[in-house]
Amino acid sequence: MTTLALAFVPTARAIRWRPVLVVVASLVLVAVLAEATRGPISAVLAIAAAGLSSTAVAGLHDPADTLLEPLPVTRMQRRLLRLAPLAVSAAAAWWVVTEVLSPGRHQPVGPLVGLTAVGVAVAVWAPRRRAVVLGAGAPVALFVLTRVVPADTRMAEVASVWQTHPWWVLLGAVTICWLGRRR
Amino acid sequence: MSSALAPTAVTPRASSGSGLFRALVRAEARPLLRNPVPWLCFLASVWALSTVEPTVGEWPGSSYEQVQPSAVPMLFGIALAAAVAAHRARSDVAPAAPAGEIQRTAARLVAAVPYVVLACGYSALAAWRERELGGMWLGMEPGRTTTALHTFPELAQVPALALVAVALGAAVGRRVSRLVAVVPLLFVFWFVVMTYWHFGAPSVTPFSVLQVQPIHITVGPASADPMAFPDDWLLAGPPHGNGGWQRQWVSQALAWWHLVWLVGVALVLLTAAWPRSGRRWLLAAGLVVAAVGATAQVAVIP
Repeated sequence: MTTLALAFVPTARAIRWRPVLVVVASLVLVAVLAEATRGPISAVLAIAAAGLSSTAVAGLHDPADTLLEPLPVTRMQRRLLRLAPLAVSAAAAWWVVTEVLSPGRHQPVGPLVGLTAVGVAVAVWAPRRRAVVLGAGAPVALFVLTRVVPADTRMAEVASVWQTHPWWVLLGAVTICWLGRRR
Repeated sequence: MSSALAPTAVTPRASSGSGLFRALVRAEARPLLRNPVPWLCFLASVWALSTVEPTVGEWPGSSYEQVQPSAVPMLFGIALAAAVAAHRARSDVAPAAPAGEIQRTAARLVAAVPYVVLACGYSALAAWRERELGGMWLGMEPGRTTTALHTFPELAQVPALALVAVALGAAVGRRVSRLVAVVPLLFVFWFVVMTYWHFGAPSVTPFSVLQVQPIHITVGPASADPMAFPDDWLLAGPPHGNGGWQRQWVSQALAWWHLVWLVGVALVLLTAAWPRSGRRWLLAAGLVVAAVGATAQVAVIP
């Protein structure tokens, strides 16, 4: 545990933060525009959830992965170590975006958490060479599915489960991650 | 015996410049077109398009407005494929390589042309679908039509956006060091663009990426008599008109100039992917074209 705590700061430094900042700045910009035009905000919230979770999962990409393999720290521990600062920054960005979009009105963080967990689960189980790309693509794919499926159908209900029942999605994804803890 | 063992000099076959370029395009096109993401995204777009249908009680023009945003998943897929191809340019190539950096970059861009053709296919499909439905609905009584069809420059916007997608993908792929980071970057860009209603105000729409017509121009308060407006105006009023009467304005001229703006934007984006030589000219040309397109749009909007 101490080793992991000591590794937290260097790991956070090793993460490329510039793409994260670009994504957050874009989302804040569109939130300002959405607030100014008083248009519907549900689409912007869904884009923010999928974009931020995809960014967090993309941050799992570790160019030193093969180099660190002999260390007595499992791959899952290294993933969690990278995910911690990314998740904190994603949560902070979510708070800023939702505050700009609807000041004073609490927006549930569930979709962001659920999608991030799905992305991590995919990254754990996907073939190693493309694991993180597929993991980062999972929230995007779920979002696109939600947008293209006709509304008010059974399929739409299933596709938007990450919005309606995010905590069940989280539970399922965490279970899948736990089953793949040795991967 | 001795003549059989004598080493024979192997001279490389001289290839013409155009032959080399064609070979480069073929070599670039193969992995680019084998990428499954743009094809899956194209199917998603076609699926979304197939669900667009005028329904009773819809926001006036809602189905008409949905046709072009349905292309966004395809544009995202095209940008992603272009980014993967452009990312290869980050690897050093021997200075003595037979093709220079400009030739390699140009070949990579030409190899993406089939995706622009795919976007043309999407537009053709949209035009066919609208005719199959007998036209879309626009406006509300007394200014209403049930046979609205997208004009040619409006439909041409999707191929123009495919050009922007290729240029953006090439720029992001060339500049971002870790390929995985382009997924959220391109996703946020294209799907923010899809929320077209945030960029639809007359003062903002000339500078938007995806321009969805009709443009809503407020023409009177809720208490105004709609019969007093000209007969050829398409109208949206209470409870849809944001508290007043709005004219739903569709213009071919605006759509044509928006195409010019998009070409300018694509050229500006390309500068980030283009080798140093010629970059300045590309940027200057892009800025001039974009400025002409934007200025003309501002002038056209009443």
